[in-house]
Amino acid sequence: MNREEIIGKINGFFVSEFEADESTILPLENMTKTLGLDSLDFVDLVVSIENNFGFKVNPEDFQSIVTFQDFYEYVIQNIKQASSQ
Amino acid sequence: MKYALVTGGSRGIGKAICIKLATDGYNILLNYKSNDLEANKSKEEVELNGVKCELLKFDVSDNESTQLIISNWLDNNKAAKIEILVNNAGINNDNLMVFMPNEQWHNVINASLNGFFYVTKAILKSMVSSRYGRIINVVSLSGLKGMPGQTNYAAAKAGVIGATKSLAQEVAKRNITVNAVAPGFIATDMTKDLDEKQLIELIPMKRFGTPEEVAETVSFLASKSAAYITGQVISINGGLYS
Repeated sequence: MNREEIIGKINGFFVSEFEADESTILPLENMTKTLGLDSLDFVDLVVSIENNFGFKVNPEDFQSIVTFQDFYEYVIQNIKQASSQ
Repeated sequence: MKYALVTGGSRGIGKAICIKLATDGYNILLNYKSNDLEANKSKEEVELNGVKCELLKFDVSDNESTQLIISNWLDNNKAAKIEILVNNAGINNDNLMVFMPNEQWHNVINASLNGFFYVTKAILKSMVSSRYGRIINVVSLSGLKGMPGQTNYAAAKAGVIGATKSLAQEVAKRNITVNAVAPGFIATDMTKDLDEKQLIELIPMKRFGTPEEVAETVSFLASKSAAYITGQVISINGGLYS
């Protein structure tokens, strides 16, 4: 998967699992506020990532993620790491 | 397949809880630290109730092996749901504080308080994600009223009580309840060296409790019937309060 495909897939599950309006998903926007996530919703996000991208997520890593862009970079980096192992 | 994970399940109160939850229809994940013989005996007794019992050998005070063993089990059993977690594992090692080496303090805190944290953390993600769970922490009368010689144990158990109340509020909206049971004097290996004759004079019911009596309460808190009870500490102590 290339960068665009990964971002497309992430945005896809934001829409399907968190009922997000796709037009509000902009890279530099605050992800939590835009999606209306509470702290426990992050756990659902962790599980979605694990199921969709096949790497293990440490929920503590999420504390540094603010924008959608941060989240994309986190996922992309972990996919790279997982595939190089 | 629904499962209950019981830590410290090879003997005493933990074993009675495993057997009771098996009669309630749960497959059992029985954690124990070292006693293979007793763990295997417990497994056999649990399986007499027509459920599966898997032994998970790890020391709850060792974070690394706790995370590894639980996450491997979850990865290898994708269809399984751990609906119930009973944090029962713990040790006591009594001494008056004035004579207590640091190690004696830390060992008890590591097993009885940190162990609760490590195991619960390993399970919590799957409970939150599946929007259902029952967590029951076995604490102690000692954690409520204190006991001379048990500053370490009482501190650990009082710590778990505080964490029970906090965690209950964190996860309530996901249909996960978190409660504690606080046994008084229960006839187990942990109390076998105590002077029972002298102590029962202090207990209004004039006897020690049984592990099965604790297990009954755990079973209720683990059931669907206890859905609206969370953040509570239920004492099982024959009326002994002060």
